[in-house]
Amino acid sequence: MRLEHWLYAAPLRLRSLFRRQQVERELDEELRGHLEHLIQQNLTAGMPPEQARAAAMRQMDGLEQRKEECRDARGVNFFEHFAQDIRYGARVLRKNPGFTLTAVLALALGIGANSAIFSVVYGVLVRPLPFPDAERLAMVYVHFSPQNSERGNMSIADFLDWKAQNRSFEEPALFAVAGAAQLRRFDLTGVDEPEEVRGTSVTTGFFPALRAQPLLGRLFLPGEDAAGSERKVVLGESLWRRRFGSRPDIVGQGIVLNGMRFTIIGVLPASFQFARLPDAEVWTNLLLNPPTHRGPYFYNGIGRLKPGVTLEQAQAETNAIGGSIERANSSWYSHLTMPVIPLREALVGKVRPALLVLFGAVVFVLLIAAVNVANLLLSRANVREREIAVRAALGAGRGRLVRQLLTESTLLALLGGGLGLLLAYAGIQLLRAWNPGNLPRVGDIQLDSHVALFTLLISLASGILFGLAPAMHSSRGLIGSLNEGGRSGTAGTARRRVHAALMVSEVALSLVLLIGAGLLLRSFDLLQKVNAGFSADPQKVLALDITLSGPKYADGKAQVAFFDRLIEQARALPGVESAALSDSLPPSEAGDSDTFVIDGQAWTQAGFPSTDNAILGPGYFRAMEIPLLRGRDFADSDTAGSPPVAIISASLARRYFPHEDPIGHRLKQSDPSLHGSPFMEIVGVVGDVKYDGLDDHSEMAYYTPYRQNFARNLYLVVRSGLPAASLSGTLRQQVRDLDPDVVVSQPSTLEQVMSDSVAQPRFRTALLGLFAAIALVLAAIGIYGVIAYAVAQRTHEIGIRMALGARRMDVLRLVTIRGLQLTLAGLAIGMAAAMALTRLLKSLLFGVRPSDPLTFLGMATLLCTVALLACAEPARRAMRVDPMVALRYE
Amino acid sequence: MSRPSDLVQGTLDLLLLKILALEPLNGWAISQRLKQVSGEVLQVSDGSLYPALHKLEQGGWISAEWKASENNRRAKFYSLTRLGRRQLEHETANWSRLSSAISHVLKLKEA
Repeated sequence: MRLEHWLYAAPLRLRSLFRRQQVERELDEELRGHLEHLIQQNLTAGMPPEQARAAAMRQMDGLEQRKEECRDARGVNFFEHFAQDIRYGARVLRKNPGFTLTAVLALALGIGANSAIFSVVYGVLVRPLPFPDAERLAMVYVHFSPQNSERGNMSIADFLDWKAQNRSFEEPALFAVAGAAQLRRFDLTGVDEPEEVRGTSVTTGFFPALRAQPLLGRLFLPGEDAAGSERKVVLGESLWRRRFGSRPDIVGQGIVLNGMRFTIIGVLPASFQFARLPDAEVWTNLLLNPPTHRGPYFYNGIGRLKPGVTLEQAQAETNAIGGSIERANSSWYSHLTMPVIPLREALVGKVRPALLVLFGAVVFVLLIAAVNVANLLLSRANVREREIAVRAALGAGRGRLVRQLLTESTLLALLGGGLGLLLAYAGIQLLRAWNPGNLPRVGDIQLDSHVALFTLLISLASGILFGLAPAMHSSRGLIGSLNEGGRSGTAGTARRRVHAALMVSEVALSLVLLIGAGLLLRSFDLLQKVNAGFSADPQKVLALDITLSGPKYADGKAQVAFFDRLIEQARALPGVESAALSDSLPPSEAGDSDTFVIDGQAWTQAGFPSTDNAILGPGYFRAMEIPLLRGRDFADSDTAGSPPVAIISASLARRYFPHEDPIGHRLKQSDPSLHGSPFMEIVGVVGDVKYDGLDDHSEMAYYTPYRQNFARNLYLVVRSGLPAASLSGTLRQQVRDLDPDVVVSQPSTLEQVMSDSVAQPRFRTALLGLFAAIALVLAAIGIYGVIAYAVAQRTHEIGIRMALGARRMDVLRLVTIRGLQLTLAGLAIGMAAAMALTRLLKSLLFGVRPSDPLTFLGMATLLCTVALLACAEPARRAMRVDPMVALRYE
Repeated sequence: MSRPSDLVQGTLDLLLLKILALEPLNGWAISQRLKQVSGEVLQVSDGSLYPALHKLEQGGWISAEWKASENNRRAKFYSLTRLGRRQLEHETANWSRLSSAISHVLKLKEA
């Protein structure tokens, strides 16, 4: 019945809407036809023409009213009024460009910030991963004491045990993520220009778990990860197009990676994106060679849950497997669990707190903007009081008036939203270009229909939010406004109260944001002041990442020979103060990390945690200006043929040699079960250096010379007074001259390295700081508006007070005390809210408590000062009130 | 809003549907027919006829078409739709029930 009704009605409604003129003409024709019939009838009855016409009109009972009723019957008026409201609203906004511009800009800032951050939150946290049934995918880690990482990497031995006992996952898979740099970097040689490409090696279950399909050729087959299998590689589409000219006959051909020959078996489409390794272009088969010991921990597990298996069941199973591994290796592991983390959580879990905090912050900015616009609308409602009263007197219903005012505010919000969307677009481009500190899934951030819809929704919501209070307020208590000549006492008081409430909430909201930003700023400041352990001017130190590849460097002697020649040439360059080699760089480029043993001390797993272990050459400590506290630096005489030596960090010396001189004691890499490695004599103690990030607390490290090690990948560290650009060009040329097949990465100064290491904290601090600054400006404008309005309202009263003998100081006090009272109320509420909310920031803070009193008081003082400044101009105006002028208006 | 106050709410609609059930008519003819069939009992001003017709059309009970009238002038002719016919049956039944109930009540003898 209803449906059938609409079948008839819908075309008519549409016609009424879109063919309005024709419908209107037809209506006119129909009624006029009737009228003419009546006239004819009257003429026939013998009336004179004039009279006949008048009588006919009377019989019609009001032609125009009937037409209007017909229009009502057609349901056109709703749209008609809506269109009227919009036209009228647009006219009102056009006639007040200052007001409109202010409001639209404030809203655009608020909405734009929201849309930009929403697009980041959506792209990174919400958008489905690009795999079928991605929620069934999970990463598997190992977590044990003393390597206390919640998401610790796995070793091949752990994986084999897991795979053997697994029942919850379809074929478990393993892929390399870390450890020795060469596992993630592949030097593509044997082509016209050697290049370093990113990639990983995976077991055969990896691609089936992700349901990946090849663009060309095939992916790995079961068994191709078995020990001793032939080396095969799958290329990414980008590499295939860039280096192999998109040739379809590439499958079956060989390439040389890291000096080893691989057969190309297939090409992955560019649509295959694994966010854990976003830049991977080569995927080799990981060979599960039988391990000699539990390490090294270079891998992550991944798997797809079998149908019907829950995450909890899988977790229970892997923990049980972990327990059995622990029992079988009790000297190595304690408290071993194997955390199962859903893939999405594993990929983006770390950035979620920061993104949600930023999202919360922009919501605050939008609220402040909305409060500001509400204030503006309310102040203007005073000016429009007469207009609204007249309209009400002429018969406009309250609902109709509220609708008119809401249409205006919604129109404002949509204008703000449109401009905001443009701001968001620019913001997203900036964010993507900035690519703040390896934000995962940055490619998934885009301004799409979701963001547009979100923008529309928040625009409408804020339009109603800031429009409703003033609209309800204006349409109430109108009766008094006409007869009282515009200054209605009661309505004025009520409005002042609404103003006050808006101002208090604005101050409170801003304070929360300011305190949040202040805490992050303090953290960032403290983080940057952390002593990384070296005193060299980071601008003057240049680091080049050099990787030796190919069979000619398979032998340790060849590696040492190359590096020896390189360092000799680098030191000979004019302007170079100091040059050295190292596989580690402060503050976050740790080389390897492994346990160790000290000769003569009882070894326990817990007593000798995994420790940074850097391979470097003589002169590194001098180049970096790391203090040598005891003993000596490595020397050119520390070679493969001489007794093995090591240097330890001050922390390590303090912990293991609290009461004696460590020099002369002996230390050995790894645990006692590894018999191959020799004991090394400790020849020196150096100052502590950070290698695991500025916020890391462990500073234990030991150093070994590269001439007594196996090192294909080292940084050339050069300190000089030369400009970085020209020096790096010279150094690259030197490397090329020595061997054109050696891969050199883009050189960077230590300053850049330091700066990159805090990219993520800087990103969130800068954004939150920006939002807080916007909030502060909006709050200042808002406070100014409220106080200026109050002064304008009270000009008359001030005039009387002055006429009665009040001095200017009294007036000043009158105005500022009002502002101060409201500000203090806002500050009190804001403090309480901040106390509750800053706890959410805890994981983002460094060296500062969430309730840091200094930040709380500092930001409150700042906001209070700004509020007073915002009161200053209205106060000055109040003091200049001429009692005569003010009174004359009475 | 001027409703024919002496008509029971909804009665005009019923009358219009009934008249149009006999044959498609234009507005003028409908007004003449109304007067003719109800004598002077039902007072419907010429003007209030049209909003009622437009509402019925909007409801899908009648549909309109422009045709030449008897004196060769263009006029809007209304005819009953399938939906309108059902509505007429429904309303007629309602009306009969209501009017018989009311006349029954009115015929009660005072005790």
